[in-house]
Amino acid sequence: MTAGAGGVGGVGGAVDTDTHVAPASLDALMPYLAPFWRDYAEGAALRLDPAQAGAYPPGATAGPAPPDVATLRERVLDVPAPGGVPVRTAVLSATSAFDVSRNPYYDAALCGALNDWVVEHFLDRDERLRGGIAVPSGDPEAAVAEIHRRADDPRFVQVLLPVRGHDHRYGHRRFLPVLEAAAGTGLAVTLHAWGRAGSAATPTGFTHTYLADYLSQGHLAQAQLTSLVVEGVLDRLPGLRVVVAECGFSWLPPLLWRLDKEWKGIWREVPWVRRPPSSYLREQVRLTSTPAHLPTDPAELADALEVIDAARLVMYAGDHPHVHGDGTARLLAALDPAARAAVLGGTAEDFLLGRGRGTGSSTPSHRREEAPR
Amino acid sequence: MTDTLPDDVAPAGTTPRPRRASRTPVVDADIHPAVTPQRLARELPEPWRRRYERFGVRGAPPPAIYPRTRNGGMRADSHPASGPPGSDLGMLRDQLLDPYDVLAGVLIPLQGHTWGAEEPDFAAALCRALNDVLVADFLDPEPRLRASICLAHESPEQAVAEIERRAGDPRFVQVLFPSGTQLPLTDAKYRPVLAAAAEAGLPIGMHLGGTEGHRGDGWPSFYLEQHGWYGNAMAMALTTLVAGGVLDAVPDLRLVLVEGGLTWVPSVLWGLDEAWARFSDDVPWLRRRPSEIVRERCWFTTQPIDEPENLEHLAVTIRQSGLAERILFASDYPHWDFDDPVTALRVLPADLRRPMMARTGAALYGLELPEGTP
Repeated sequence: MTAGAGGVGGVGGAVDTDTHVAPASLDALMPYLAPFWRDYAEGAALRLDPAQAGAYPPGATAGPAPPDVATLRERVLDVPAPGGVPVRTAVLSATSAFDVSRNPYYDAALCGALNDWVVEHFLDRDERLRGGIAVPSGDPEAAVAEIHRRADDPRFVQVLLPVRGHDHRYGHRRFLPVLEAAAGTGLAVTLHAWGRAGSAATPTGFTHTYLADYLSQGHLAQAQLTSLVVEGVLDRLPGLRVVVAECGFSWLPPLLWRLDKEWKGIWREVPWVRRPPSSYLREQVRLTSTPAHLPTDPAELADALEVIDAARLVMYAGDHPHVHGDGTARLLAALDPAARAAVLGGTAEDFLLGRGRGTGSSTPSHRREEAPR
Repeated sequence: MTDTLPDDVAPAGTTPRPRRASRTPVVDADIHPAVTPQRLARELPEPWRRRYERFGVRGAPPPAIYPRTRNGGMRADSHPASGPPGSDLGMLRDQLLDPYDVLAGVLIPLQGHTWGAEEPDFAAALCRALNDVLVADFLDPEPRLRASICLAHESPEQAVAEIERRAGDPRFVQVLFPSGTQLPLTDAKYRPVLAAAAEAGLPIGMHLGGTEGHRGDGWPSFYLEQHGWYGNAMAMALTTLVAGGVLDAVPDLRLVLVEGGLTWVPSVLWGLDEAWARFSDDVPWLRRRPSEIVRERCWFTTQPIDEPENLEHLAVTIRQSGLAERILFASDYPHWDFDDPVTALRVLPADLRRPMMARTGAALYGLELPEGTP
């Protein structure tokens, strides 16, 4: 992927691919909820926790995510990216509905309300903004309906899914209609950090520390990417673009090596994976820059960035209001100008912001009768 | 790569040439023996023998959930005339110990991974019987073999008793845990077991497997996914232990992460160090950099060794871990993804590869090496 015209040398400014907005409370979404759900939410004393059930405690944030466009302008849009590059476009991550009960219908209602709120309070108020469609991962059918409801709005560029999900990985065929709908309408699918608080982060259960919980995001992202390749979704949907947001990226090379080696030995089990897994992932996946878990030694950092192929695969994200240290600034400072321009905006321009790649109804459907027998 | 192959290399997948005196000795940190149900039953006292024979065990081993697609996940040539691969000492000698000049090999019986989570007294009886079979059928007749102590890892009292029972036998060189425990290893219930191992001077060998658990990651559909995830499961187990302060809280604890990969280690340490500096209020017991703790307390094994397209990236990544002197060669015999001791690590430069083949393992497990071993 080469740097798009908008990103070269920062001429057109930076693209912030992950910045958060959140209603201050559930009250803000009540106007968008049907009476049944208003009553349900009030009766159960539901809240819309700004900390997202422990995902974003005070010790890991600079305060709550902006609840209105004025705050977003002041803290993000009018603040230059590292290196002094102005922000041209910011992609909103509204993840407030990531942690909900297992009730699939409430999940759907809340996502719809959140999307309405994002449109009215942000997308309609600043033309630099792009959105992500919150969808109920507990109800794939409703998720497809929500995607189609929003897909005609060109300001939505992605579908947001919590990287920490329920029960099945996203490559599982129950989610295929959701991924087909995204690919068919030219939307990227963004797997964003955190998610279902009821699903423990680690194989051995809930962590005893925030530190381990925080660091689990990258592993969960690897599980989801593995699933998308191994279940054949990336092969069936060559137009599907996947973004991994706020989960780190320096874990990618070992994952690619491991999957390619596994595939060489176990390919018979998954004959629909027709190429080395790394080739699908390198083409169809990009990762946001923040948090950047990288070495501090400059020589090691240079080695790491070469192994990671950061210039091609990583997209700048400010991730306001979450605090992740100085890794992203060190990443950008270590890149040569062309690579820096790609990370700051060029890659996002080509990979995430373009809605022109919709494959429409020509997307082949995943037919059960094609399974090996 | 500046290094070239030794002249006695047999191409991968062929029968190795006969032993040659010039070959580098090998310490193999991961050999999987198997014990048939009939053999185990003979060592089980009542009432456990009848219980085992009439009702079996409850835990499902990972292959029951994720079938392996060829040869049941075993090397095609590793099936003895009777019994499962790994159950025949003669074949183990012929296929591994003799041709590769294995100086010492550490047995890791995976059956204990799920047996150790059964009803406490039953689990203890199964693991004790398994250890007894290892002694009688492998350690007594074959002086090159060492073993891991299988234990009822979910039942601390029984587990500690088994450590104490075996600690006097120097052929047991580590205490076995699966990465798939039922609770995070930071849970208080495991602490006495970890402490007993450390007090006995035995490392904890944490091998992938055990109770198969998928939560936030979701359940995979295929073996390929599940097998790939083992690296992440091991990385999360290590992260949990480090963040929980266990590696510093238990004096002299040493941890060997077996068959979980090693190229993920640098990015995990970068993340741990970077986040620890900001989350000190979350982990007030962590008073030094996580990477420092890992480099002091942990060892890793080679199999399955990664094969990047650009092979130099493997060496770069291993050097970045700062753990090059903490990596043990492992073959994983008799599994399908067996790493050949002669060829598997040839992608690494000699200065990285040589200590992995024998010296690091010998130092960890207290084995004597012949003079002149590189």
